Amino acid sequence: MDKHQLPDLIINGVSGGAGGTYNNVNMDGVGKVVGPIVARMFKGNGHMNLNDDLAAEEAECNGVIKVMGNMRFGTLKVDGVLNVGKSFRGESCTLNGMVSVKGDCELEDFVGEGSFSVGGLLSAGHVDFKLQSQGKANEIGVESLVIRQVNNGFWSKMFSGIIPKLRPELCARTIEGDFIDVEYTTADIIRGNIVIIGPGCTLGRVEYREQITVHPEAKVGKVEKAL
Amino acid sequence: MEDDLISKKQLLDLTGISYGQLYRWKRKQLIPEEWFIRKSTFTGQETFFPKEMILSRIHNIVNMKDGLSLDEMADKLSDKASFEKVSVTAKEIIERNIVSTTTLRKFGESLGDESKYTFEELVHLFAVDRLLSAGEMSMEEAELLFRTLQEKVSRLESGSWELFFVRKMGVSSFILAQAPAELWFDEGVRLVSKMTYSDLIEQLKGKLAYKLVE
Repeated sequence: MDKHQLPDLIINGVSGGAGGTYNNVNMDGVGKVVGPIVARMFKGNGHMNLNDDLAAEEAECNGVIKVMGNMRFGTLKVDGVLNVGKSFRGESCTLNGMVSVKGDCELEDFVGEGSFSVGGLLSAGHVDFKLQSQGKANEIGVESLVIRQVNNGFWSKMFSGIIPKLRPELCARTIEGDFIDVEYTTADIIRGNIVIIGPGCTLGRVEYREQITVHPEAKVGKVEKAL
Repeated sequence: MEDDLISKKQLLDLTGISYGQLYRWKRKQLIPEEWFIRKSTFTGQETFFPKEMILSRIHNIVNMKDGLSLDEMADKLSDKASFEKVSVTAKEIIERNIVSTTTLRKFGESLGDESKYTFEELVHLFAVDRLLSAGEMSMEEAELLFRTLQEKVSRLESGSWELFFVRKMGVSSFILAQAPAELWFDEGVRLVSKMTYSDLIEQLKGKLAYKLVE
């Protein structure tokens, strides 16, 4: 990075701003930014709309943030809802709430609680996720994947019966990885070296190389050992 | 086209790498996005790769891995410029078995300089050598090919080309086209061999990777 001091972008209240290269971006309240943002530190509180790309070394999203373009980051913390229109790429993401990505999602570490939806490929080093409602991805390719269901209370149990989107489960077409440990998952195919299938799974086919464990309460169409 | 592709499963079986590694390398952009080709098969959608390119790329990654971090490797592999600066001596070519002795002796001298070869010259030698050692081409044809490459390649704009080697009634000719090209021939023509520039440099990169690591 260059040495000279970069400006800050600060939005308080209801206001807007322009894209550009900044040192710190602090946004509180309701705001809209037109143009791509490159920042060392990005902080958004409240309801924010960015109509282009966002790149930040460190990012924090609290509230409802919408990024229409691509999002790049080093570390990201989300408390609330984050919407990304295109692709989502970064080192680590800690989530408490909801992330929805239209394009591909590439992360080294993906840890959190809540729900996510990825339109394309979710590729990550380690995913450790507790589902409170639906987690969705077209394709998942990982080194290790651990999916757990949060002990849901009375209200969420009641609502999940009415609205399927609120049912805490993982839905994907294919899941591939070295180590896969899932429960409450619906998928066509799971392929992995070590596969652990927990309760509540509905799977079309499971291919494994080294080891497999299937919970008696899981529905699995076919289990195959790949050579 | 079909046989130029390899499915993800076959690839993993063949190379012995795991899903995790493959996806990790993709994330680090060691394997370009465009190489992941989605196709529908009877078991649903599957991912395929251009066979020769992906195999030599994985070979490169595995061989370079010891000395470098993934990020450094990604830089080196995607950076064509660093390869273009490479020059190799005749001795190294023989030692590293990049091009066979026969080819080098025959064509190396016509390049004239004091037995140092640029990357571009090496690509030409490599192309000729591949066809020769596969026994698909005679020495005279090799000469023709080598001359064609040297004279004509520089006229192609993007620097990526495809070479078609065809034979009809014992008469052979070379067709050099801007990639991606698709050609159709009449019935009497036999396509002896087809080479693409990107395949060639991908394989050469593997053989020259040691140059960059040092």
